[in-house]
Amino acid sequence: MKFCFFHLMPFTGVKEVTADWPTPNRLFDPVRAHELYRGYVDAMVYAEQCGFDWVGCNEHHFSPYGLMANCNLIGGALAYPTKKIRIAMMGNLVPLNNPIRVAEEYAMLDCMSGGRLIAGLMRGIPHEYIAYNIAPDASWSRQREAIALILKAWTEPEPFGWEGEHFQFRQVSIWPRPLQQPHPPLVISASSLESARFAGEMRATMGMVLISDLALAKECIQVYRESARAAGWEPQAENILIGMHTVIAESDEEAKAALAEARKYFDGVLMGGMRSAGRLVLQKTRYYQDEANRGRMQNRLAKREAATMDEQIAGGMILCGSPESVVRQIRRIHGELGNGIFNFTMKVGDLPDGVVRRGMELFRDRVLPHVRDL
Amino acid sequence: MKVEVRGQGRPLLYLHPAGGARWTKALEKLAQTHTVHMPTFPGFDGTPIDPEVTARRALGRLLGDYIEREVGQACDIMGCSFGGAVALWLAIERPQCVDHLVLECPGGLQSIDPALRRDPQDEVEAQNRRMLAHYGAEDGKDERLLQELDRVQAVTLILHGTEDRIIAAESMRLLKGRLARAFLVYVWDAAHHIEVDQPERLAAVVQSFLERSDAFVVRYA
Repeated sequence: MKFCFFHLMPFTGVKEVTADWPTPNRLFDPVRAHELYRGYVDAMVYAEQCGFDWVGCNEHHFSPYGLMANCNLIGGALAYPTKKIRIAMMGNLVPLNNPIRVAEEYAMLDCMSGGRLIAGLMRGIPHEYIAYNIAPDASWSRQREAIALILKAWTEPEPFGWEGEHFQFRQVSIWPRPLQQPHPPLVISASSLESARFAGEMRATMGMVLISDLALAKECIQVYRESARAAGWEPQAENILIGMHTVIAESDEEAKAALAEARKYFDGVLMGGMRSAGRLVLQKTRYYQDEANRGRMQNRLAKREAATMDEQIAGGMILCGSPESVVRQIRRIHGELGNGIFNFTMKVGDLPDGVVRRGMELFRDRVLPHVRDL
Repeated sequence: MKVEVRGQGRPLLYLHPAGGARWTKALEKLAQTHTVHMPTFPGFDGTPIDPEVTARRALGRLLGDYIEREVGQACDIMGCSFGGAVALWLAIERPQCVDHLVLECPGGLQSIDPALRRDPQDEVEAQNRRMLAHYGAEDGKDERLLQELDRVQAVTLILHGTEDRIIAAESMRLLKGRLARAFLVYVWDAAHHIEVDQPERLAAVVQSFLERSDAFVVRYA
């Protein structure tokens, strides 16, 4: 079993709860951000010493939810202080960005890190499309074309042009090319049936977050496996990544209390504006290809929000408790889903960094030895 | 040799694929800016066979004769699949006849899996299929053409559909590497017959190339 230490890099300390999106940046304090970045990068570097196999982060815009408009900058900051841990960008929002730029920056990171890049090629969450003024209706077609173009840019040895629906280039020949051949391993979000199908088709590791119940997660994995087989390959356990909020403390009570407090900030401040903007996009566009997918996603979010903490633990939505409890939770989820990677978001909301660091050490000393060989 | 001519503007000789000569939407668009000459290779589409023309190389010479006789000046050449191989031979045999060269998923560079060829739907298609044997092109690959590619001097645009399962991208890379001045452009979401799958994209990039030559790589406002 492999483990990823994933960081959202939330901006903490905002007192005002708002449902507006974008969040007004009068609430942003750059001096505080300077300190936060330093502390967050330190924690990510420390993940290597705590036995994590991957360290990951992602891209978000216009809110305190995450401070990485370009997570590749953080990837660059991780490349030299770390030696072995794989650097997982999960990832760049490819429909919103210039795909050639994504290919170039990922190739840089792969070379800089000595071939440790995991290349996440994400579609993004709905409201990000407002930020970059891209039609959410075109998200799937942009995603498909952008990924094809990125793969071409990584693997084509001679200059080439691209005449596409969304992207046109006359001459492409990126420097550097990736160190890993033919290209770095891919991760594609697969939290819905349509995206699970796409991840299988693209021979990518599937990344599932926001699980509302294990039955739906199993359905996504089944669709992913079928799609992969149709594309001529057989996914292994380590091609299935399950991500969730993870709080590990000395006792169950301590972990639950810490998470409950941190979730107030997460749900109120970090998610407030995003939730309303996301709803707007989902109501007004065809971000999801059909009504069934749209309904499934909204039910999933509603189910997560309505669940108590114990229900969330029981439903495999979060990992929370003492090291011994978390070992049991990991074993159970692995037993149900057969995944080979867990993606831990340990900095939940404004959970104090000291609690996060202690949780990382408890993971290293009292969780990992019991689950490494799963 | 039967030749249809449509449109207005600079001459453009279009060399058809093994399926025969068809006015596609892309060619109609090109005919808005060019005088498109579309010959039907002898024996295709029910036309008489020329017993003296039995190879793609000989077709290249025949078309050179046509350009010298009917066009009277070097002109732009566009060849699709089978016609792409003929266009390459034309550029090798009669370089003085060729201005720009456009190769749409050109044949001649590799063997083609017969299982990928569509079964003929009628007698015309069946006759066209028999013409492959007549021109020594059943396998698809033309070893002699591969040996002589270095002689092509025309500035060349190579087009390949990202979904093409008949001609491999490797062949296009090989071709680009062998030609003195060539550009390779992938057309997204197009299979082997790009002008049918993506006529607007194909016409746009070809028009830009024919109008601006090497400078088509620079975007205009």
